[in-house]
Amino acid sequence: MTVAELAAPAGTGEFGHLDEQSKREIRNALLTAVAVPGYQVPFASREMPVARGWGSGGLQVTLAVIGPQDTIKVIDQGDDAGVNAANLRRLIVASTGVPDTTDARAASIIQTRHRIPEDPLAPGQILVLQVPVPEPLRGVERDMRELRRMHAEADYSKIWVSLYEDLVRNGVITQSTGYPVLVGGRYVMATTPIPRWDVPRLHQAGFLSLFGAGREKRVYAVPPHTSVEPLAFEDVPFQVERTEGASCLLCGAAEAYLVEVPARHGWICSDTDWCWRRREAADG
Amino acid sequence: MGYAAARGGLDAILAAEELMRAKRDGGTSPPLEISQLTERLNLAVDRVMGEAGLWAPDLAARALRQAEGDIIEAAHLLRAYRSTRPRLAAGPVTHADEIEVLRRIVPAYRVPPGPQLLGRTLDYVGRLLDDGTPSGPAHRPAAAGGNGQVSHPDHPATADTGGQAEDPARRRPGRLLDLLRGQGMIRDRRRDDDPEPHDVTREPVRPGVPRSARLSVMARAETGALVNLWYRNILGPDGYIHEITLGEVRHGRLPVRVTHPVTGQPVRLGSVRVTEVEAIEDLDGPDEDRGVFDVGYGLCLGHNERKAIAMANLDIAVERDGGQSGLEQSVLMTTDGLDASGFLEHLKLPHYVTFRSMVDRKAAIRAAAEQQAPQQQAAGVTR
Repeated sequence: MTVAELAAPAGTGEFGHLDEQSKREIRNALLTAVAVPGYQVPFASREMPVARGWGSGGLQVTLAVIGPQDTIKVIDQGDDAGVNAANLRRLIVASTGVPDTTDARAASIIQTRHRIPEDPLAPGQILVLQVPVPEPLRGVERDMRELRRMHAEADYSKIWVSLYEDLVRNGVITQSTGYPVLVGGRYVMATTPIPRWDVPRLHQAGFLSLFGAGREKRVYAVPPHTSVEPLAFEDVPFQVERTEGASCLLCGAAEAYLVEVPARHGWICSDTDWCWRRREAADG
Repeated sequence: MGYAAARGGLDAILAAEELMRAKRDGGTSPPLEISQLTERLNLAVDRVMGEAGLWAPDLAARALRQAEGDIIEAAHLLRAYRSTRPRLAAGPVTHADEIEVLRRIVPAYRVPPGPQLLGRTLDYVGRLLDDGTPSGPAHRPAAAGGNGQVSHPDHPATADTGGQAEDPARRRPGRLLDLLRGQGMIRDRRRDDDPEPHDVTREPVRPGVPRSARLSVMARAETGALVNLWYRNILGPDGYIHEITLGEVRHGRLPVRVTHPVTGQPVRLGSVRVTEVEAIEDLDGPDEDRGVFDVGYGLCLGHNERKAIAMANLDIAVERDGGQSGLEQSVLMTTDGLDASGFLEHLKLPHYVTFRSMVDRKAAIRAAAEQQAPQQQAAGVTR
């Protein structure tokens, strides 16, 4: 180790931007998270070249687990070309030199904000989700000490009551994204804000999901083959987003997560690469 | 499409970066030198170092220049830079009694033990917008004696001794607190089982952490956040804390040492400037010993009295609150400038996936209401 090395400009030294000690510490937290599915593991959370709330947690998780043999895909809202996805991708690629792809099937690590790709993911793939608010119970309890107790004792009565009250007041459960789930029959977990459409796809999945909340300094995980059950009543089933008659203006898909395009009075797929491949296949 | 489409966002980012660079580095005036920032905008540089939690004046000045004067943005640059550096050593604890003061005031007594040393402050300078005439060395009257001007407190050669020999003990005055302790007037909360300070950059904080964690969080907190939290508690919406009496307000140099890897002896590497405040609190709670005072503590990097005073107030307020209200959680979790600003600004990111999901629920609520209405009509239900 030389003084010149130590004084080197930022971002040009280590593989994966962070120093090795930091990456090891994050991996240690991730191992705990995998061992205790759905449990929020505190970690030190470094300041990253992106701001808090802009994927700093997901970025730390990706950089801690990535190796030279990996291929990375980064999406925001399902879109590879989104500005935040583009920014995170260039940081990851620039600091690791790994190849990037837009094809979810070809990526070994997929970092995402708000979506799970429409393609079924395979065992061995890692999904890294950026998490703004890791605490699923914050809406019903503000005190952090009480929240710890509730998770420790699996005392989830307050959130059940809130779901019941919601139903009675509004006729439906109004929680839109980030729907609370019970993981492995033990911990209630926040599903980042992925839409309800994506929630069932975490259940008994073959892939590993790692959740990184940089600002709140927590990581958590859903290991492969783990039950992920949305909190719902037996006689009021969990509902995903669906609009009668809607289909993608570009590829025609109806069974995909669609986002509205008011200017064109229609809908398009949020997963842009999946949509593009469907069109390519249709064109022959 | 595919990969090519993913270029769209990147091209837009590169164009935005170019717009930032062109405006910052363009114009007709000469580029800003680092020394201009450290000498002429030293309070801004201090604030960046304080909120970044890293003493590095030249790097902080570079960050401030790159961030076009945005303090939080500059603190972010500095902290993100720090994330790439390995931690090489931890220094032994330095007692704050070793501060060599550049300024020291004791509002609680007219004539305290040790000097009232006004030092460099704007406190009693009229807030009159000057006419822009430079007041450099050539324009300045002959060096003021005693506690006169300091052009840059990191350069001892120009420190505020006015070129006169001075009693070194004057720069290391005793504390008012020691006098009050001697009189048995202070609730003694010193402990000899004090563990190593909680490192908030290595272990995340949550309510119930030791006091050292609370102090570390506040030392790195955003100045405005601490001031606001203090003021909310003075005016009442969040609770009520006293206007305390300041026992010490100090700005000075604190030596930094590391343990020599071979000899095992502490070696002085240099010093950092810090602002230190002791806040004397009049205990008046029903369960408190009203015969004594208690004390809150504030210390931050650089010259930032506003921050250190708010910190000392909030330290004792959290202590007295004892977890009864959400004050501790507010102090620990809501005062970091990078956390709050980053999360606020993330609202600018696309949110159309989540918004579509919300629209879906609105439609579901309205459909449920419509379904309900004919049934209620049929049953003769009225509101």
